[in-house]
Amino acid sequence: MSRISARWLLVRLGSAYVTLLVIMTIIFGLIQATPGDFISAMIGPETTQDQIDALYEQWGVNDPLWQQYIDYMINYQTLEFGRSPFYGEDAADLIIRRLPRTLTLFGAAFLIGYVVGPLVGMYLGWWRGTRKDKSVFAGGLLMFSMPAFWIAWLGIWLFNYNLGVFPSRYMFTQFPSFESWTILRTITDVLRHIALPLGSLAFVGWVGSMLVMRPNMINVTEQDYVFLAHAKGLSERTVMIKHAARNALLPVATQAIVGIAFIIDGSVIIEQVFSWPGIGLTLVDAVFNNDYPSADPIR
Amino acid sequence: MSTTRQYLDLDTVKKRWAPRVRRAKRMWSRFTTHKMGVLGVLILLTFILMALFPGAFTRHSLEWQAYLGTDNLRHTAAQRETLPHPPAFGDPFWAPLGTNQSGQSIWTLIVYSADTALYIGFAAGLLSSLVGVPLGLIRGYYGDTWVDGLIQRLVDVFYGLPFLPFLIVLVAIRGVSTTNIILGIAITSWLNQCIIIRGETLSLKERSYVDSAKVAGASDARVVFRHILPNVLPLTFVFLAQDAATAILAQASLAYLGLADFTTISWGMMIQNIQSQGYVFQAWWWLIPPGLAIAAIAAAFYFIGYSMEDVTNPQGT
Repeated sequence: MSRISARWLLVRLGSAYVTLLVIMTIIFGLIQATPGDFISAMIGPETTQDQIDALYEQWGVNDPLWQQYIDYMINYQTLEFGRSPFYGEDAADLIIRRLPRTLTLFGAAFLIGYVVGPLVGMYLGWWRGTRKDKSVFAGGLLMFSMPAFWIAWLGIWLFNYNLGVFPSRYMFTQFPSFESWTILRTITDVLRHIALPLGSLAFVGWVGSMLVMRPNMINVTEQDYVFLAHAKGLSERTVMIKHAARNALLPVATQAIVGIAFIIDGSVIIEQVFSWPGIGLTLVDAVFNNDYPSADPIR
Repeated sequence: MSTTRQYLDLDTVKKRWAPRVRRAKRMWSRFTTHKMGVLGVLILLTFILMALFPGAFTRHSLEWQAYLGTDNLRHTAAQRETLPHPPAFGDPFWAPLGTNQSGQSIWTLIVYSADTALYIGFAAGLLSSLVGVPLGLIRGYYGDTWVDGLIQRLVDVFYGLPFLPFLIVLVAIRGVSTTNIILGIAITSWLNQCIIIRGETLSLKERSYVDSAKVAGASDARVVFRHILPNVLPLTFVFLAQDAATAILAQASLAYLGLADFTTISWGMMIQNIQSQGYVFQAWWWLIPPGLAIAAIAAAFYFIGYSMEDVTNPQGT
């Protein structure tokens, strides 16, 4: 399998680049088709007509469409995203500041999902057809069908309102000053704040990888080499973990890589519910405020 | 005239359809071995009945309000104080799941929203199958040629498309309605179908019956739609069911973000309403039922889909 030659790699990279250009073009078209423009987000009641005109000129809204298109394509490929009129800072900075927070929450959820899911899937596939398999599988599907934001609200209602254990919003306790905070205190504070959003994400999240793992496991257990491993007299556990599960994991890994791309899509709603200051919340605010400089590069 | 009538004869029709009926019966008996799938069918049937005859499931109509009945009056201040009212049976009014802030019975709202959810599920599932299956068939049949590559690029582009801004633009151009939301969901959900049908077609087209059809002089279109399509059809039903469930969940999420038709009632809108009216913590009887309803109908579709998968793929278990 020496198929990965330099030429193959080049063709792959080239077509990925062209795909990216097409996506950017579509996004440009979407922005042009959206009603309202982002200049109106910057205009206050006391802005004079001259200032408005100057703003339009400065942001290049009056340029012909092809000019705007070329500017857009060049700027975005050199990571010059411009300033966000809504947040009043560079969009690139905004994203760099907010991305780690999203990654903390969703990285953790991702990790839990892809540890628990394949493990459960492995056991279910091994015990295929038993009552245990059937009931856990159906239960998992039921959990998979619950809307995550509803689970989140239930969590807030139960743990925050009724029991008062976990805070329901933001990433840190809101204090005017953080000077006296030690590292330990910061960590425990973040952990308390992350509990509910992480819990509601993990509640739904593990099922996806379980659904991929279980049929793979079932297929693998019927292979000859598993039969051979049994015949060698290895224990059930060794056969399951070392021989069957390892080979069943491959499609799960593929799915996980695709799944990384969807973290941002999924982050939108949970961040909205918990006011988690991450990138999904930025996206929603930006889209609803016609704030294109910060909305586009997120994709 | 007299010769063509012969084809409409009942016995001939029966004879022609007998193998298909037998096959359907066999699939059904396999399907019923899965308790999960039967449960899904039962839930789905309940919701279909709810959508068709909502009057049979609740005592009140949509216009009914606590204390007032169907009269077009206003609540007094003392009545409004009690108003997201906890579950009440009998006196002074009958509302098994309580009421919302304007006195509508939660149970009535749930029952009357069933048709919206079913509409979303079936319409989005069908639409994405109608796009994904033909494209997948074409891709698989002309596998590894430029046609396949072109559609693959198209799929890549759609995978990269920003869902939320895209939907907002669509809704801005065509107006906020449930149909447009479905359109948006379907446009982004046909990709998985396309990829999986492609893989299935790739393996099916190597079978000998495809070769013999070609030798007999069948055109490409005939081979694809007459010989390959019937064999991938059960698989498409699996994905139709799963897409329906995903669409219902997606619509609920969108309604939560405020992207839904505010003139129709749906379970997602009910959860959005409780949050915008600020009763999340006071009215658990209002928060829990819509979510359970969404979970039940989505789970019904998933149950059916995964049981179908076992039926169509006997190697599995």
